[in-house]
Amino acid sequence: MNFNFTQDQLDFQDAISSMLRTEVTADSIRARWQNESGIDSAFMQQAHDLGLNSMLIPESLGGLGLTAVDFILLAEACGEVALPEPLVESVMVTTPSLVDILDQGLGNADVQKVIDGVLAGDVRVALGHTINPCINYADSADWFLLPDGDGVYLLPKEAVTLEAKTSVDPSRRLFSASFAASDAYLVADGEAGANLQRATLNRGALASAAQLVGLSRGMLQQSVSYTSDREQFGRAIGANQAVKHLVADVAVQVEYAKPVIYRAAYTVGVSPSRADFAVSHAKSAAGRAGLLASRHCMQVFGAMGYTWECDLQIWAKRAWALAREWGDEGFHTNRIHEWLLRKNALLGPEYTFGRGSLTDRAKAG
Amino acid sequence: MKLAFTAADEQFREEVADWLNDNLRDEFTDIRYRGGPGDEHRFVDERKAWERRLADGRWTCIGWPEAWGGRAASIEQQVIFHEEYARAGGPGRMGHIGDTLTGPTLLAFGSEHQKAKYLPPIRDGMAFWSQGYSEPGAGSDLAAIRTKAVQDEISGQWKITGQKVWTSLAHESDFVFVLARVDRDSSRHHGLGFFLVALDQPGVTIRPINQLTGTAEFNEVYFDDAVCDAEDIVGAPGDGWKVAMGLLGFERGVSTLGQQMLFQTELDEIIRIAKANGASRDPDIRQRIAEAHIGLKTMRYNSMRMLSGREDGSLSREAMIYKLYWSSWHRNLGKLAMDVLGPDAELIESGSYELNKLQSLFLFTRADTIYGGTNQIQRNLIAERALGMPKEPRGQGK
Ligand SMILES: Cc1cc2nc3c(=O)[nH]c(=O)nc-3n(C[C@H](O)[C@H](O)[C@H](O)COP(=O)(O)OP(=O)(O)OC[C@H]3O[C@@H](n4cnc5c(N)ncnc54)[C@H](O)[C@@H]3O)c2cc1C
Repeated sequence: MNFNFTQDQLDFQDAISSMLRTEVTADSIRARWQNESGIDSAFMQQAHDLGLNSMLIPESLGGLGLTAVDFILLAEACGEVALPEPLVESVMVTTPSLVDILDQGLGNADVQKVIDGVLAGDVRVALGHTINPCINYADSADWFLLPDGDGVYLLPKEAVTLEAKTSVDPSRRLFSASFAASDAYLVADGEAGANLQRATLNRGALASAAQLVGLSRGMLQQSVSYTSDREQFGRAIGANQAVKHLVADVAVQVEYAKPVIYRAAYTVGVSPSRADFAVSHAKSAAGRAGLLASRHCMQVFGAMGYTWECDLQIWAKRAWALAREWGDEGFHTNRIHEWLLRKNALLGPEYTFGRGSLTDRAKAG
Repeated sequence: MKLAFTAADEQFREEVADWLNDNLRDEFTDIRYRGGPGDEHRFVDERKAWERRLADGRWTCIGWPEAWGGRAASIEQQVIFHEEYARAGGPGRMGHIGDTLTGPTLLAFGSEHQKAKYLPPIRDGMAFWSQGYSEPGAGSDLAAIRTKAVQDEISGQWKITGQKVWTSLAHESDFVFVLARVDRDSSRHHGLGFFLVALDQPGVTIRPINQLTGTAEFNEVYFDDAVCDAEDIVGAPGDGWKVAMGLLGFERGVSTLGQQMLFQTELDEIIRIAKANGASRDPDIRQRIAEAHIGLKTMRYNSMRMLSGREDGSLSREAMIYKLYWSSWHRNLGKLAMDVLGPDAELIESGSYELNKLQSLFLFTRADTIYGGTNQIQRNLIAERALGMPKEPRGQGK
């Protein structure tokens, strides 16, 4: 057992983090609110050039063949700068779903074509799931992967009707999508379709969990710096224990959410449709940390944190949105207790990291 | 202890309900349930007109003495008025600050001249007020204010220079009460004055501040030799802190009764939505709805206990716990509202950035734990003032 990341993984995170910090500033995010597409194309090109789009595509298909564990720290880093574009969703959720379809020998000629387009960096795919009422940045997608019943459909944008919605988070560009479910676009159906949707939910929840942890870290940094600068009663407000404790409580929850997310990333990488338990744990821990971070950090900013001008709102509003997307805390804790209270639940100390092989053997023998 | 209303009280209730039923209609239909916290920027003109209608019916400033156009209403009657007002969907009161803060403060500390000049327009729904305490460098540490007032030796007129910030609704108000330093060598809570200042004058500039709700309910207010007549300082120069603190006492008193009624309508709305969208079947939501109800009833009983037998609107010591209690309760209610809405909580119905009622509620509750003394400051007060615990070391206030 080894819970640590490899030096390669850490180095790559460092490189991407520093690129994100220079390229994705609060000002550049506000600039996106004003521009037509909400996309910073130069940034997206840079991310593509660094190989992000091909990371989780197998080598046999022309990608880098890495796993969710390799990407999870980068997802966190994207959250930390509150990146508006759905890069994490696209790399960690949509593309792996397309690959799954091919792997299982499902789909049609379009699937391969779309994956090639993603590798080349000139095709963007948006993905829908019944748990989310809307799709973020759907207006800039060329293709859509959408569910209807157990079926999953891959549609060109011409076959999809979008209706714009407004989010509380000005960085999010939400649309509801509708389409006519025609066999021509069907890429998975029946049990295979249902399994795919289940895997997608787990990947999605993991993607938002990782970003929530990043967002919380971003808010923590802003709070530490604001409370060190702002003075009341002749000293920094951060000198007061009441203020310190608010911030420290967030740090504790964030740190404790991390290993849970890393563990879930591992399971999602190995078997996404059987990762419910690990992912639900990760999403509820991260959602809780994200909501606490927005609440406490906003509190330590005083009235300043309540203004449009204060950048904290960019992070706090995203955390509010992501804490709900892909299932809120209630949804995920329900999944956990359903799992725990099943008749044949595998409970006991030996199951901490999956199947306790000894017990299985004993039972079998 | 007697926990019942008298027959006379019940008759009063009927009178209030009838009047509201007859008046909160026609041109006022659209403003029912509007203009509450987070929605204060809406229907301003209509709500000002509504204040005048209330005044015609003698329903503004009902706690004031009859000599000043009030009804000298008992605490019980004020409770009843607020209950019925909320039940009828009465809009957020534009006259709130004048009615519950400026008025009682002038009645307690003001001169006869000030009462005669300022009380009738408030009572008649003609003059609206705002509160100029906070400054960029003086938030929690209110005694750090630097806005200064200098008196002309001959005319006696005051000239005020400085900046206030977070001044709610200043842009819709006629007057602001300003806490300013009259003695340039003074520090902390010494040497302050409490001034009644007209906003419509060349020396005053008001700049709205956009809030994260996308609306602007509070403002920066700049004073650049703004004038204030010699008669318009409340109390003596140097008494400002005493007056300002007296006013804060009123802020925590009777004026909170209406707020609780608003909370009740919010909770009712959340329950209604939970039943309609199926969230009420979720066991966790059911628990939290029950907890919200319990919390609100507890709040109400404690307020009644606080106010019982204090017809002057002054408060018992229990009042110190109130701000912390309601702000925390309300913050949790905002979270419950969002959880009841579920995935739709994020979506804004209209195309522009205009939040719906529950979204505004959620965002606004984030400010509840800040204005009027943050939760941290409230806890310090409870521990240090009410319980007498050792004081936390403070820096050298500037
Ligand atoms: C919506 C809204 C409306 C408002 N309306 C008005 C108005 O109409 N008129 C007006 O005058 N003001 C108004 N205010 C201002 C309000 O009174 C101040 O925001 C409040 O007093 C806190 O001051 P601050 O924002 O400067 O925060 P700060 O004082 O800078 O506090 C920042 C953080 O530090 C903490 N802190 C500071 N000192 C201590 C300490 N000693 N111990 C422990 N913790 C500490 C605080 O709790 C807070 O979490 C309004 C504010 C809001 C949000």
